[in-house]
Amino acid sequence: MGLFDFAEVGFNVDNGFLEGLTRGFKNGVLCKEDYRHLTQCDSLEDLKLHLQSTTYGNFLANEPSPLTVAVIDDRLREKLVVEFQFLRNHAYKELATFLDFIKYSYMIDNIILLITGTLRQRQLSELLPKCHPLGIFDQMETVTIANSTADLYNAILVDSPLAPFFKDCISEEDLDEVNIEVIRNTLYKAYLEAFYDWCEGCGGATAEVMCEILGFEADRRSFIITINSFGTELSKEDRAKLYPRRGKLYPDGLTELARADDYESVKRVAEHYTEYRKLFDGTGVGIGEKTLEDKFFEHEVTMNVNSFMQQFQYGVFYSFVKLREQECRNVIWISECIAQRHRSKIDSYIPIF
Amino acid sequence: MGSLFRSEQMCLAQLYLQSEAAFACVSKLGELGLVSFTDLNPNVNAFQRKFVNDVRRCDEMERKLRFLERELKKDQIGVYDNGDNPPAPAPREMIELEAKFEKLENDMKEINTNQEALKKNFLELTEMKQILMKAQHFFEEMDRFDTTEDEALIDPNTPQTVAAAGKLGFVAGVILRSKLPSFERVLWRACRGNVFLRHAEIEMALEDPVTGDVVNKSVFIIFFQGDQLRNRVQKICEGFMTSLYPVPEMPPEGLHNLEMNVTSKIQDLQLVLNQTEDHRHLVLTQVALNIRVWFIKVRKIKAIYHTLNLFNVNIAEKCLIAQCWCPTNDLGKIQDALRYGTEVSGSSVASILQQVTTEEQPPTYNRTNMFTESFQGIIDAFGVSTYQEVNPAPFTIITFPFLFAVMFGDFGHGLLMLVFGLVLVIREKFYLAQKSADSEIWDMIFGGRYMILFMGFFSMYTGFLYNECFSRSFNVFGSSWNVSAMNFDAVTLGNASALDLDPVTPGVYRGYPDNYINGSGYPYPYGMDPIWQSAENKITFQNSYKMKSSIVLGFAQMLFGLTLALYNHIYFKDRLSIICEWIPQMIFIWCIVGYLCVIILFKWITWKDPASAPSLLIGLINMFMFTAPSKADGTFLYTGQSTVQIFVVLMIVFCLPWMLLAKPAVIYYRRRQKANRYAPLKSDSSTTRGLENPNFAEDVGKSQRNYNLAGGEMADDVPIIEQDQLDVESNSIQQTEPDPDEKDFSEIMILQIIHTIEFSLNCISHTASYLRLWALSLAHSELSEVLWTMVMHIGLSMAPPAGPIVTYAVFWFFAVLTVGILLVMEGLSAFLHALRLHWVEFQSKFYKGQGYAFLPFSFESIIQGRVDE
Repeated sequence: MGLFDFAEVGFNVDNGFLEGLTRGFKNGVLCKEDYRHLTQCDSLEDLKLHLQSTTYGNFLANEPSPLTVAVIDDRLREKLVVEFQFLRNHAYKELATFLDFIKYSYMIDNIILLITGTLRQRQLSELLPKCHPLGIFDQMETVTIANSTADLYNAILVDSPLAPFFKDCISEEDLDEVNIEVIRNTLYKAYLEAFYDWCEGCGGATAEVMCEILGFEADRRSFIITINSFGTELSKEDRAKLYPRRGKLYPDGLTELARADDYESVKRVAEHYTEYRKLFDGTGVGIGEKTLEDKFFEHEVTMNVNSFMQQFQYGVFYSFVKLREQECRNVIWISECIAQRHRSKIDSYIPIF
Repeated sequence: MGSLFRSEQMCLAQLYLQSEAAFACVSKLGELGLVSFTDLNPNVNAFQRKFVNDVRRCDEMERKLRFLERELKKDQIGVYDNGDNPPAPAPREMIELEAKFEKLENDMKEINTNQEALKKNFLELTEMKQILMKAQHFFEEMDRFDTTEDEALIDPNTPQTVAAAGKLGFVAGVILRSKLPSFERVLWRACRGNVFLRHAEIEMALEDPVTGDVVNKSVFIIFFQGDQLRNRVQKICEGFMTSLYPVPEMPPEGLHNLEMNVTSKIQDLQLVLNQTEDHRHLVLTQVALNIRVWFIKVRKIKAIYHTLNLFNVNIAEKCLIAQCWCPTNDLGKIQDALRYGTEVSGSSVASILQQVTTEEQPPTYNRTNMFTESFQGIIDAFGVSTYQEVNPAPFTIITFPFLFAVMFGDFGHGLLMLVFGLVLVIREKFYLAQKSADSEIWDMIFGGRYMILFMGFFSMYTGFLYNECFSRSFNVFGSSWNVSAMNFDAVTLGNASALDLDPVTPGVYRGYPDNYINGSGYPYPYGMDPIWQSAENKITFQNSYKMKSSIVLGFAQMLFGLTLALYNHIYFKDRLSIICEWIPQMIFIWCIVGYLCVIILFKWITWKDPASAPSLLIGLINMFMFTAPSKADGTFLYTGQSTVQIFVVLMIVFCLPWMLLAKPAVIYYRRRQKANRYAPLKSDSSTTRGLENPNFAEDVGKSQRNYNLAGGEMADDVPIIEQDQLDVESNSIQQTEPDPDEKDFSEIMILQIIHTIEFSLNCISHTASYLRLWALSLAHSELSEVLWTMVMHIGLSMAPPAGPIVTYAVFWFFAVLTVGILLVMEGLSAFLHALRLHWVEFQSKFYKGQGYAFLPFSFESIIQGRVDE
């Protein structure tokens, strides 16, 4: 940021309304008190009653009893989608691009979902409702015809916004399960790198906030890919290709990770980084212990909450979507626990405020 | 005094309701709308309350009703409204209602499913028909190409296709028109250009059977060769959500027959569809007749259960305990309602209402009617009055429109506003019935209809005083000025653009009886003399006039406000405030502003010679500089003026410490007295207490410091310690009720300092603030004059034949600007300033506005959606 950088001066002209709106939405995110009440519910009907007194209001009022978790999930997601679409429809210039970037990750997920589903001989009509509404695009449904990635790219995705991310994974190989995971991660890697670079190019507070969040996202992916690759046929070279080359691990940490053979060696890599050491410390699957995944989520939530501390930047939009998503996961977790009468784990949601 | 003068007297009451009678009683109270229940279980979650299941049942019923309402809307059937307001049904009738709604919902759903299936069938047949029609067309075209062999016009692929038509496979289907371009692209890329697509738009819009939306679609037909391609094409078609239809390969004539076949099927289906539609309509009309009543019933039940959830349940005695605020005057009505409710429910034990004494501040309840509502509204917008303090609303009814009119004074504009207000008031019932006009702006204007009426009326009055009607003057009584008495000669009259009229010259101004020659000896009897309209110094004259009258009006209103403060002090028996605050305030304001007003009036009434008129401004400045008034600098008004003015200034100076110190001093003295009175009793135990309570010494130290800071000097330590000890004592004994008066002394002192500074500065600044009356009135009259001379005058000054035509054209321009700028914009600005004068200048003299509004539990407001339960 230069001395005479006045990017923030004009921020409110284009984005002031939406930023204000998003901060308003953020205030509606459920707080600890709300979760405490929710975990005390005995049935989904109780949950509905309590959610009525939050900003969710009457979002379940028109659902006939008995409620199911799936319905709650749908409605929660619908609310997020409505809010996001409103933001996207009113966004201008750079913010529109930024919001589109957020959508791309959902598109990637949808494509992978459809391809995997087709490989497992599922019907398209069965798969479509499972796709995230934010990631729906025109040619999406046709990805089922592709037999290889080259096919996929040439026939379908070439004029979709995802095309640029595809350049690294075009091959004539037939699609199979391992392949798909590789494609997903390659796509995600390209996507994250592109998003990171774009935010960096924005400069100012946006770069400051978003690079940290996306850098963490990249590092988390690297860790998770490494840990999940143990015991699979993925070679170390191939694995190294999947690491997003952004964030704190890049480049030294990634080189070390590429050499890792077991969980302990991954942990050793994390030791070098203060914030990641904390996450690896004291994780486990036992009762009272948190899984590494949850710890990552918690860290992500903290970062997203902190992003609201800065003004005149696009990070709030990203953070809002992520926080809402986490909230949906939390509510669904609690609802599942209630519905399955599995109360002992009901407290393992990730509180936001 | 009328009930609006102070808010209703309220009392806190406890109700003991038998559990079987509770529902009926609350229902009656809801109809009555006079009690507001307090939540006795604030710490209980919404879903842990007793009647949560009943609330849930109501929610479910409401959901079903909403579903039916949506269906009604879909078929555009209006809801029948006969204005019925059924009472809340008894709990046992609820089951009946539930069953009824359940059945209706199921019926409706079944009809919908049937209809959907039929519609889907219908859509498929229609699409099929379209495809057959278009396919014939495609094939015919192809035949034509075949015969002419015109290769240049079509894709290089087609000749082969046509040649090999026998072996070519094809699929035909229908696709959403918006998806067609991307469909085409994907098809081309995925099949590497080896397919041939023809498409044609379906002219008529089709209805989506599920959503009921109208969609535009296109027919397409794809030709290809080989099974592999067929698979691919079919997958793409599936991906794009197209509907494919089997079209047999046959000559066009065969297709035509098929089409006829389909058409007849469509006709049959249409018949069935119409029948279902009729049946659905029949069911829905029945629903439309009752749905409003059902909604009211369900909402009432829900509101009752919500209220019951606020109650305390006493299991042992099988009764519910409720706590509520209610107007003391209406206790009888409430008891009647309870008795009636108990009777209806057939309970043997009466419900009991018992008044409770409390320290809590009761809510403020001002009974309003259609007329006073809007005036009370502008007061409440500033702040709900503290319980039982003087409510400015009744005075606002007159002062608000009046101050507005001072700024908006124009007879014509006032008349227009009056007419608008009258129309709203006369057609009130009609507009009230039209609830559907849900525009916030309209609600605001309509809500203030009586205010608009009054503002219009008063504007006509002040307009008459200013003698302005669209900036022109009336000459009703004949001007008091006589030009001929000046005896100008012809040359002067011919050459001069303006001439001086000297009122001292005999006969020119008839206002002076001694100048009387051929006039009646009086000035223009009422309002402005119309001659000022053509005078060049009109503005100078009016400015001085309006400025002074603004100050006099302002003083009058502030004085009135202070008088109301006296009413408050008397009512709350606050003698200390009367002597130590109110009296010095009164003297202060009289000396500073009152004296100015007196000399303004004095000058108006007695001064005749314009040449030697004194300057009040310089006179006032000199008064504070203790400069003796003299004729030389034009500050002399009356003999003895110097003595009076010195006295006035001294009074001002004297009042300041009176306001500042008297009240805190008395409080300080009283506290000391009280402490001394109890001192001997406690003195022997003070040492032991100090040992028992480890915080004691520290407490004492702290309070001592406070006293030091506040009081400036300390008399001696002993009484303070004892007083503090008294506090500790009383706190430990009766911790339930800490004395509300026992504010920290430093706090009292600071408040008093702020209060004094505020009041004394405000006397000057608020007086200056009233000058906005003059400024706005000047702006208004100038604007309307500009509009007249720049617009209307153009048309009127032209000679016929052009004149009338131009006048006609210009009139509309004039009319639009008059309404848009002078009535609406100027009206809003005058409204805003009148509002400020009331909120700040008037109410700051007496109004605290620290109460909270009484929100009674009332079905009426719940059903109208004013209260969100």
